Amino acid sequence: MEALLLNVVGKLGPAMEAPLRLAVESMSFWERIQPPEDITTNGHLIMWLFNYTTWVNLFWFALVCIGLFGFSWFYSAKRHKKPLYTHGTDKQHYMITAGIGVLVFLSVDMVITKVSTNDMKNVFWQFPDQEPDIVRVQILAQQWMWNIRYAGADGEFNTGDDVVTNNDLRVPVGKKVLVELTAKDVIHAFYLPNARIKADAIPGRLAKIWFDTNKTGTYEIACAEMCGAHHYLMRGVMTVLTQEDYDRWKSETEKIAIATNDQESPDLRWGWKWGNF
Amino acid sequence: MAFLEQHIHEAPTSFWSKYVISFDHKVIAKQFLWYGIFWLLVGGLMAMMIRWTLAFPGTPFPLIGHMLFPHSGGIVPPDTYAMLFTLHGTIMIFFAITPILNGAFANYCIPLMIGARDMIFPTLNMLSFWFAMASGGVLLASMCLPLGAAAGGWTSYPTLSTLMGQPGAGQTMWLVSLFLFGISSTMGAINYITTVITLRAPGMDYFKMPLTIWGMWLTAVLNAIFVPVLGAGLLLLIFDRVFGTTFFLAGAAATSGKGDPVLFQHVFWIFGHPEVYILILPAWGIVSDLLSFFARKPAFGYKTTALSMTAITILSTVVYGHHMYTTQMSPLLTQSFMTLTMLISIPSAVFYANWLGTIWKGSIRFTSPMLFSLGVVFVFGLGGLTGLYLASTSIDLYLHDTYFVVGHFHYTMAASVLLGGFAATYFWFPKMFGTMMDERLAKWHFWCTIFPLNGIFTGMMLVGYAGMHRRIYNPFIYEFTQKLMPINTFITLSAVAMGLAQIIFVWNFVKSVFFNKEKASDNPWDVGTLEWTVPSPAPVHNFDEIPHVKCGPHELGNPNLTTGRDFQYQTEELVKA
Repeated sequence: MEALLLNVVGKLGPAMEAPLRLAVESMSFWERIQPPEDITTNGHLIMWLFNYTTWVNLFWFALVCIGLFGFSWFYSAKRHKKPLYTHGTDKQHYMITAGIGVLVFLSVDMVITKVSTNDMKNVFWQFPDQEPDIVRVQILAQQWMWNIRYAGADGEFNTGDDVVTNNDLRVPVGKKVLVELTAKDVIHAFYLPNARIKADAIPGRLAKIWFDTNKTGTYEIACAEMCGAHHYLMRGVMTVLTQEDYDRWKSETEKIAIATNDQESPDLRWGWKWGNF
Repeated sequence: MAFLEQHIHEAPTSFWSKYVISFDHKVIAKQFLWYGIFWLLVGGLMAMMIRWTLAFPGTPFPLIGHMLFPHSGGIVPPDTYAMLFTLHGTIMIFFAITPILNGAFANYCIPLMIGARDMIFPTLNMLSFWFAMASGGVLLASMCLPLGAAAGGWTSYPTLSTLMGQPGAGQTMWLVSLFLFGISSTMGAINYITTVITLRAPGMDYFKMPLTIWGMWLTAVLNAIFVPVLGAGLLLLIFDRVFGTTFFLAGAAATSGKGDPVLFQHVFWIFGHPEVYILILPAWGIVSDLLSFFARKPAFGYKTTALSMTAITILSTVVYGHHMYTTQMSPLLTQSFMTLTMLISIPSAVFYANWLGTIWKGSIRFTSPMLFSLGVVFVFGLGGLTGLYLASTSIDLYLHDTYFVVGHFHYTMAASVLLGGFAATYFWFPKMFGTMMDERLAKWHFWCTIFPLNGIFTGMMLVGYAGMHRRIYNPFIYEFTQKLMPINTFITLSAVAMGLAQIIFVWNFVKSVFFNKEKASDNPWDVGTLEWTVPSPAPVHNFDEIPHVKCGPHELGNPNLTTGRDFQYQTEELVKA
């Protein structure tokens, strides 16, 4: 496999070489299939439920395989000439089937549904609207980029001093970030693999999503909803800064915004009053 | 119950009336089968191009790349890539799988297995096929347009599928094509429902019908109810594109008035979720029967299997919202949809228990239809269980629109349905064409298919778990997908292997239809359902005498039999001790 890929590297020329080398550099299979690093305080909830579901699935699938392969082996016509004549309608047959049904209900419906609902109710749907010390960001998705808006020095959105960036989201570590999200042209989806969340950006609708971070660094923003031929190029970058770095960046860009924002440009006015779409 | 009188019509003699405009359900079934296999190959080739692009981005597609994409030096361009995955989905769902299981086998099996001379509405049946042909023709033509075919994904969400995202006529033709296909499906569905209700032979109670018929009948019910919903959605989208209405427009696309793009998603998935059961229910029914036939033992818990399938059919109509968690519906709706979706696990567990109960203490004959049926048990197990992750709203926050979803739905409605379709083809082939397919090639086909198939779809789930999102043209753009490259290459190589394995099937099929001179016996598999009581291939009027049904479809291995056979025909009185 790797030899084949390296062969491709040779044909592609220097532009693609670095990423391809990265792709084939030695890494165990287990490392390779791990999700991107979790940089939030709540992402582990999703991963916990994922892992629980995996164990439940392994249990049930093991049972299926034991039945499937075991019965195929022991009851092949060669080994087992005389089949048992039963319609599976005895009382004990029904009991076994019903027992399996109940066990599925307990392990699947009662746990996964319950935990999932609790996580959504207690965490992911608990928008920090009312909390004073959060970062508010408005994002407008368009083909094929992310327009990102911070309220400028006046703390109001859609005013002349807003800080507006393209594909460049910066947040301070440890703070809750509340995003108001919509799209200009077609449906996109704001996807932060490192935060385990995504939300559709739909024209004419305002979506809300929140997350926090516990690790500085640069992470990727992807568009998860098919949005046209260049959907794959709709990549943004989220930089998680320390509070000081963030404050410095914020005050510098606010000054730049006041100095250079073209007040006549319609591009400056795509925002909306916070919460008032 | 009064039985409709069914006349024996004279066999058509001219080529035209025999093979083209045929009213005979068996000929229409074969027409649908050829139609489905043709589109299966087209859709499969598209899958190869998609996979090639993902594994070897920027390299020309081998052999035919330079011919198909001369302007990009044989490399699949990004816009063509979007068309390819759009058409791959559309073709596989509507033009390959539906015609094979729902067009071909439902058409073939329903009258023969319930003891009828034909469908109740032969003209409707004929029209159903020719509407499907028209629909396929429109789709083929749309690929030849200057701006190309539809490229908004098989779900074609507005506003991407409105003039703003798809200015070409390809999207409109896609809509028209699917609308025509909807007409075809609805006609078929009405026919199947009515035929099963009115033309069952005397004595054929609902609980004496083979489970194949149960699956096909439930499918027809879903088709009749929900395909018109899709039709309505398609029509409104056509209006938006052609007549300037604004049902689904918002944002920059809405220059006059304002609608809501999410409305289309609701309409689409009200149809779309039952649609996945439309695809899988016939396969479930077929597998339930074949497991019993080849384990030489009655179907375990026949009634509970039939009722579980019915329960799933009913539940499938009220769970569609799980496709739309990320649109941020109200929490109440989201939770309701999750709870209802999870409930499907219970009837599924019941019929899985019954499937395994059927082969338990059987005397299993590993013929090719049986191998493929056991394959369905394996792959649908994986497909069904991985649905649990996606049904959960919180896990879906991460996995929505990733390859995990792609792997999951391919396991359920591609792998399972494909294997079920192959099982059906190998099983009913002697009755359809009068010859047997080559059993040795069929087994080769099975083993060469099952391993790469699992390689493909398990690989997809792994890259999806690692975060790789769907419908991206070049996975090198993102850092978190770069490390997945070797797995993507592995998936592609598996896909090539599976694609090549289908050559065995096509060769076997063509060889057996045209060159095999050896006649099949009337009942090569030793099975007691009604279609095996008539000669192979089945005569034009099916039954000289309408049979009287006296026992269930799975009377195998009865120790009290004295006939020298280990099974009973459904026309025989149940032998008791």
